[in-house]
Amino acid sequence: MNSQFKCQKWITLLFLFIANLLFINYSTAAVVVVVHPENNSTFDKKSIKKMFLGKSKSFSNGRSAILISPDKSDPSRNAFNKSVLGKSSNQVNAYWSKMIFTGKGVPPQEMATASDIISAISANKDAISYLDAAAVTDAVKVVGTFN
Amino acid sequence: MKIVTLISAILFSTLISTAVNADIKLSGYGSIIAGKTLGTVDDPLNPGQKRDEILTADFYDVGQYTNDITFNAESIFAVQGVADISNNLRITAQVVAKAVDDFQPEFDWYYLTYQASDSLTLMAGRRNIPMYYYSEFSEVGYAYPWMRPPSNLYWWQVTQFNGIHAMYDFELGDYSSTLTAFYGNEYSNDNVEMLYYDKLYGGSARTVNEFWTDIAGVNWNISGDNFDVRFVYFQNDRDRETIQQDGSIDDYTPFSQTFIGFGGNVDLGQFKILFDWNLVDYDDARGTEFPTYLVSLVYNYDDYQPYLIYSKADHKRTKTSSATEDLEEHYISSVGLRYNFLPTASFKVQFDHFIDQGDKATGWAYHGDSDTITAGVDFIF
Repeated sequence: MNSQFKCQKWITLLFLFIANLLFINYSTAAVVVVVHPENNSTFDKKSIKKMFLGKSKSFSNGRSAILISPDKSDPSRNAFNKSVLGKSSNQVNAYWSKMIFTGKGVPPQEMATASDIISAISANKDAISYLDAAAVTDAVKVVGTFN
Repeated sequence: MKIVTLISAILFSTLISTAVNADIKLSGYGSIIAGKTLGTVDDPLNPGQKRDEILTADFYDVGQYTNDITFNAESIFAVQGVADISNNLRITAQVVAKAVDDFQPEFDWYYLTYQASDSLTLMAGRRNIPMYYYSEFSEVGYAYPWMRPPSNLYWWQVTQFNGIHAMYDFELGDYSSTLTAFYGNEYSNDNVEMLYYDKLYGGSARTVNEFWTDIAGVNWNISGDNFDVRFVYFQNDRDRETIQQDGSIDDYTPFSQTFIGFGGNVDLGQFKILFDWNLVDYDDARGTEFPTYLVSLVYNYDDYQPYLIYSKADHKRTKTSSATEDLEEHYISSVGLRYNFLPTASFKVQFDHFIDQGDKATGWAYHGDSDTITAGVDFIF
């Protein structure tokens, strides 16, 4: 009984481990970058990258950008880091740890769910964030789609 | 069981930081590192006697490895609180506890930040001196691949100061650029490293006070898609009080020093090259100079980062009357591996081969050779 339980536990762990590997390496879900519907600034991958690394702080309309990102555990964060920033999540975290602990930058504010992000973006004309393409609604404007 | 405790500790700290998010943002970093040296050497300062090989991993607080395995040379825990006082004014405090200092927490960073505009940031208070490329974040192990920035370069007895910084961000073609001007002073009373040297050479001073004043200089940082480089220049005045047991103070001739450096990193596909070159120049009677450099190659393979480092430090006297190079000189060749086992934590193991090429006859080979193995975990929260 006991050994059977142990065996099941190990198989479950192994399964989770493999699923985890697959998930990290082969996740292809599209990520969309979203702003307030009234934000008419121009965006491309380069300007979004600079913004989310804290290297440029304002939109092309001249307003200061307020950065929001999903939680560290959110899969869309890995996808965004890879496809837009061109870095692994660890490299991005290492970059921000340098900025945070030397006071040279403030990282994006983290939010737990896509609906939190959508309501924050639709309520603030200067906010920018990203989320899983499947979670986007009409309340926000999509300014970039990345795979 | 220990992992469960660690995870619950992390969860707990996350809960706290979420709960007080409205007023104070809490974050932090730390390292738990164990290590030892592997052999014995002829004691360079006591010829004929054997002693353990010693690697000084932290010169500022004299954190050292010997043959006895220890967690106390480099383990560190730091918590940072950032409070927004208004839209563009915030206060940052960082409390750092180091094992080598019996985990006595100290306010190593405590400063105001005023965001004058999107491109101009003013800071006032206590911060690290932006000397070497890694000086400002040398204690944040998570932020770089190695166990530590090579300690035979990061060897100065003063690393922090009280002062002001003006940071100006601007675009330079396709590149992002930041120009920082800084000014400040540091009166380091009871300097740990200087008292250690006094004892090492047979002294019995009660304490040593080290003064770096009128520290004034600039940092210029340029970054693009696959590189980040930084130029630094500063100068400051130096003075020292070595106070003996009877209260008398040793004679000391104050002087000025200049520090110049160029360092950074370049991404070449899976590889990353990190480098730093520096020259410290005294305007003393001997024309003392310390040229130093490091170069490192890191390979990025998924969550694994194997790396190599070579770092070299030299010491010269250039004025004709006392010109010599038979002084301090050493290099470290290191090999190591970083493994990112969590998005916020990494495991590292490193082997350091330290060769002391200093002049034995005049006591400048005081480090002695050493081979050291260290392993540990760096984390952020």
